[in-house]
Amino acid sequence: MADRSPSSDPGLLLLISLSGGPKHGHAMLLDVANFAGVRLGPGTLYGALTRLEEDGLVEALPLEGRRRPYRLTDAGLGALRGRLTGLNAAVSIGLERVASR
Amino acid sequence: MRPILRLYPSAWRRRYGDELSDLLDEMPSTPATTLDLLRGAVTQHMRALIDRVAPRLVSAGGPPMPTHPLQRHPTAVALLAALIAAPTVIFVVVSFLAYQLELPGMQAWLQPFMDGLQQAPRIVDLFLLTAPFIAFVLAALPLIGLRLERVDGELRITLALRAHTLNVLVLGICVIVGGFLASHLIVEFLFERP
Repeated sequence: MADRSPSSDPGLLLLISLSGGPKHGHAMLLDVANFAGVRLGPGTLYGALTRLEEDGLVEALPLEGRRRPYRLTDAGLGALRGRLTGLNAAVSIGLERVASR
Repeated sequence: MRPILRLYPSAWRRRYGDELSDLLDEMPSTPATTLDLLRGAVTQHMRALIDRVAPRLVSAGGPPMPTHPLQRHPTAVALLAALIAAPTVIFVVVSFLAYQLELPGMQAWLQPFMDGLQQAPRIVDLFLLTAPFIAFVLAALPLIGLRLERVDGELRITLALRAHTLNVLVLGICVIVGGFLASHLIVEFLFERP
């Protein structure tokens, strides 16, 4: 069965990371590794960032030295809220069923 | 690892190349990182290819978009299909009345036409036989929609069917007439051949 957990969705992990405030690429990698235990590769990171930016869920900020930070847009915050609410409902139901066995 | 960046599409490199290059300076070079970059390059090329090849087919949602002229004029296509199938439909209906229901006088009325048909070029036979199938395909085309869309970064291909009354009516007639012809031919082939 394909792994469709949040930890296999780089886009969701980046949205969660950016919900804590603007970050550049390397800071996002460290943050995701810290809260999810997932080490994203640089190609995966920028592939996900490309999609999120095209979809208007994140936006690039002006360069800070050689680094470009990104931040969550309002649409990104709404999308993240929707995804997490859906996951939360599924997790709650799953935990209830597991507890009842 | 910098040479791998040259494998990414040039437009993508112009936007993200410096950032990714800067990130690579801060990361250890490992086989996993190299593979991840290669996979990223392939992914970006595929995205660029899809953006180039299928811009007219990619929609942002909503009802299926017309993808060919036949879908924009379903009624005209249905009427054309009906016109193509009409000779066969008339022939089958009249034959059914004459030879299956044996209506009085019908066989005598029909006989000159049947004699003429036997002496007509084979192309006439062939047209009468294939017309319902040609008409079926023609009438069905406007009812089939193919949509390509990107959802969460994944390409999704959706086959959409729609019901247009006249086209569905022509399809039904073609199925009945085609089925009648096919069964007639099968019975003739199996039981009535010398």
